[in-house]
Amino acid sequence: MIHVASVRPLGAVLVSAIAVALILASRGRPDVRESWTLLASVAKFGTVASMVPGVLAGQVYVTDLGPFLPGVEFSLRADPLGLLFGLVASGLWLVTSLYSIGYMRGLDEGSQTRYFAAFAGSLSAAVGVAFASNLVVMFVFYELLAVATYPLVAHDGTGEARAAGRKYLAYTFGGGVAVLTGSLIVLWATGTTAFSPGGISGLAAADPVVARGAFALLAAGFGVKAALMPLHSWLPDAMVAPTPVSALLHAVAVVKAGVFGIARLVLDVFGPDLMTDLGMGLPLAGVAAFTLLAASLIALRQDNLKRRLAYSTVSQLSYIVLGLAVLSPVSLAGALLHIPAHAFMKITMFFCAGAIHVETHTDNISEMGGIGARMPLTMAAFAVAAAGMAGIPLVAGFVSKYFLLIGTLTAGRAVFTVALLVSGVLNIAYFWPVVYAAFFESRGKADHKPVVEGEPGGRFSGSVATTSFEGGHGYRRAQREDWGRRAPTGAESTWLMLGPILAAAAGAIVLGVVPDAAVFLRIVRLIVAGVTGVAI
Amino acid sequence: MSDLPPMLVALPILGAVATMLVGLVRSETGWPVAVLTSVLQVGAAGVLARGALRHGPVRYAVGGFAAPYGIELVVDGLSATMALLVASVALGVLAYARKAGPRSNPFYATYLLLVGGLTGISVTGDVFNMYVFLEISGLATYALVASGDRGESALAALKYLLVGTFGASLFLLGIGYAYVATGTLNMADLSAQLAEAGHTTPLVVAAFSLMVVGLFVKVAVFPLHAWQPTAYAGAPDTVSGLISALVSTVAAYALIRIVFTVFTVDFLHANPSAWRVLVAGSVASIVTGSLLAVSQSEIKRMLAYSSVSQFGLIVGAVAVANVTALTGAAIHLVGHAVMKGGLFLTTGTVAGETGARTVDDYGGLAKRFPAGSGVFGILAFALVGVPPAVGFVGKLYIVLGAIEAGAWLLASVIVGSTLLTLAYVARLVERMFFWEPEGEGRGDGGDGAKSASVLDEATGGEPGGASRGMKAAVLAAAVVAVVLGAAAFGYGQLIEPTILRLVS
Repeated sequence: MIHVASVRPLGAVLVSAIAVALILASRGRPDVRESWTLLASVAKFGTVASMVPGVLAGQVYVTDLGPFLPGVEFSLRADPLGLLFGLVASGLWLVTSLYSIGYMRGLDEGSQTRYFAAFAGSLSAAVGVAFASNLVVMFVFYELLAVATYPLVAHDGTGEARAAGRKYLAYTFGGGVAVLTGSLIVLWATGTTAFSPGGISGLAAADPVVARGAFALLAAGFGVKAALMPLHSWLPDAMVAPTPVSALLHAVAVVKAGVFGIARLVLDVFGPDLMTDLGMGLPLAGVAAFTLLAASLIALRQDNLKRRLAYSTVSQLSYIVLGLAVLSPVSLAGALLHIPAHAFMKITMFFCAGAIHVETHTDNISEMGGIGARMPLTMAAFAVAAAGMAGIPLVAGFVSKYFLLIGTLTAGRAVFTVALLVSGVLNIAYFWPVVYAAFFESRGKADHKPVVEGEPGGRFSGSVATTSFEGGHGYRRAQREDWGRRAPTGAESTWLMLGPILAAAAGAIVLGVVPDAAVFLRIVRLIVAGVTGVAI
Repeated sequence: MSDLPPMLVALPILGAVATMLVGLVRSETGWPVAVLTSVLQVGAAGVLARGALRHGPVRYAVGGFAAPYGIELVVDGLSATMALLVASVALGVLAYARKAGPRSNPFYATYLLLVGGLTGISVTGDVFNMYVFLEISGLATYALVASGDRGESALAALKYLLVGTFGASLFLLGIGYAYVATGTLNMADLSAQLAEAGHTTPLVVAAFSLMVVGLFVKVAVFPLHAWQPTAYAGAPDTVSGLISALVSTVAAYALIRIVFTVFTVDFLHANPSAWRVLVAGSVASIVTGSLLAVSQSEIKRMLAYSSVSQFGLIVGAVAVANVTALTGAAIHLVGHAVMKGGLFLTTGTVAGETGARTVDDYGGLAKRFPAGSGVFGILAFALVGVPPAVGFVGKLYIVLGAIEAGAWLLASVIVGSTLLTLAYVARLVERMFFWEPEGEGRGDGGDGAKSASVLDEATGGEPGGASRGMKAAVLAAAVVAVVLGAAAFGYGQLIEPTILRLVS
């Protein structure tokens, strides 16, 4: 790898930080304010994307800002792994920015300046996490990410939102404390925390107890944001946030920062070889396998669409962790590829949930009977993403899951293969009802949903609350009326929301149909080759 | 250059006298004289700090009487840091004080006297001389706390006077024991003589215990902290800002000086129980201080308990006793002064602007006073230790030092203190930004007496009078708290020789 001094990694981080100031400064003029967001997201994505050709050619872009602590440089480095995450986060921010405008204006939300400023700040921190060159710098951005996303979680200011915000801060700062301690132990044991593909060499010579302790702390710390059970419960609660936040941050940027942290930990701090020697892969894989099954089961019973998606996210994130923990080159590739694959699919689904909320104020799946007629494009995109999530070919999820299945099999861990397959079936079980309700049921004439409605003891509650249907870009509808029918030409919502939905769904399909042409698989191959020396 | 150390002490004291003399000719001159003195002081301290950090300690024998018999002033990197910190904070708070008051000439004279006393503690190389300056600054602080025109201020000052004098007496008693054991008062000489007398002899151990416990009172280590919340909450806002930033900080500096320069690390190694006292003080302060802070309803009391907790970190660093931890202590002393002083001044500004003084008053503050809430938020998160602010860097050095020393209990308590700090900070931040304002909102000062004490008669006691100077001082604190984080590594390198000398 050739190191190239460049300001681009720093630029990619700073561009949205500068936007924060500009957004705050133009708080009285919403159009100017939103154009700063759009401008920053274009500039950010452009900066990150401009590094792709170089990185694929084997270069690593480095911005070195000098020493930060004894043994720790404050430097930002766009290597293949960092670029993978940076590209996903910044690319989807561009899409989410448009969607945010449609969503926030559609609902006429308050405190929009704070919202857009915090959003831009979160992205700065997320890309900082991506390009951090060592554990301490990564921790710096990891904490900033927690602080910047807090206002977004507590945005509504209702008791529920504030409670979710408190929980979010407590969990993420708790995780941060673990990450910091683990990082400092690594620093103390080896004199460095700089990431190097295949692991920090000094760590193999360190006391195994210390090394295991550091690994446990770091994995638990990143595991909070990666929503590994039992550290996941902040995520479903955080769904009280506006939907664009759930879509980008709690399906992509924040939770993937946790997963990405684990990837850094496994690939660039400890390295697969030392992981095997210390026997740390198997426990981590066990936790991940448990999480992905348990979360899928819980998702089955969630009637609130966003909560169901949240548990699905918990489950899918553990696919990635499982692939990383199994440590075979193919499973690593599957795990890393699942980062963008899941991002595109899940963001589509959240966008759909948000569009439904804005247009009809419906949040519960049991009330969505026949909504496919009212929002045909939206629900079609949802169906495509759901299919991908279950691993059906031609959508992104298939490719990454294929690698994961082969990887776990070839590593001789068939039990994890079975877990993945079972979870795939559960995926269908919890997403199909949504698609079924949308297209094959009609308003007020829904079938019984024994899994959702049944009390754990076996009795049926049967009562479903009705909601009012006001708001959303001028559409007003009376209760208990049919949804009405809209042609799939965009009349169902504004293009500000519909465009991002279709773009994200299209991205998921492109990743599934021509994974080699899409840049992500090439980056993933580069990462795996760099760490294990094996070409996939 | 060589005359700078005594100048540094004499300048504020002369300034105090000048304030009174000029005041005889023309009233309302206190502020300009104080500012002039402070600017000169910052310049002198800056020059001295530059020299001390670059070329090693500057020594000065007062009156030409050579040490160990005469009084010696020794300015090493740490002393110079403290002197510069004292001077800069004093200047910053003056910008705030112009409008916020109390604005009498005696106030500014006492203010400068406190600066002189604190500078004296920082630069002296003689334990008895240190006691004298400790008393000067103590008396000045009592007077400043009492300068608020409320009964509460007077009561707080009285309580502080009693407890503070008790602490100073213990310190003096400790000095007496050390003198009996060695026959000298010069710090450098004492450290050699104490080693000769034997670190485990009862006399030496008693001297250590008395001096350290005396300083624990001044630093406000739990359970000797009770004076502090009353004093900080009872004092006028200007004074709370100044003393919360400096008084405990300089006392903690004195603790480091006594433990490492006078008794040395070898003493700690020879007496594990001494070490245990430091650890216990640290852990108790960190945990209890935070818990008490969470349960306060008045902002200033909450911040005061937070100080108890933060100084627990410093005492922890003293217990760890290695280069990394003490570098962290130096950074955190400076950082905490900026953050806590800034927070107190912000509290005053918020009270001036909106009348809000309690945790409940802060509900929906962001809507009424967005800038103030923003600054408060930044300083508060800096205090939690969110990177890259200075609160993070100091804590990080201390934790790293604790890990290096294998002090896992301390390391985990200090790391865990982040969450404890978060508990009381998040409570406020949430109220400021995500609650709806309660009651009549702007202009409702709770009760007139409280606002009047902040803004004194000149502004008519009406909220809405936070001056530009007040806002500038507060904003500067927030900026400095963040910027210092970036400068901390460079400073750590500069001070490394000093710290090495301290622990060798």
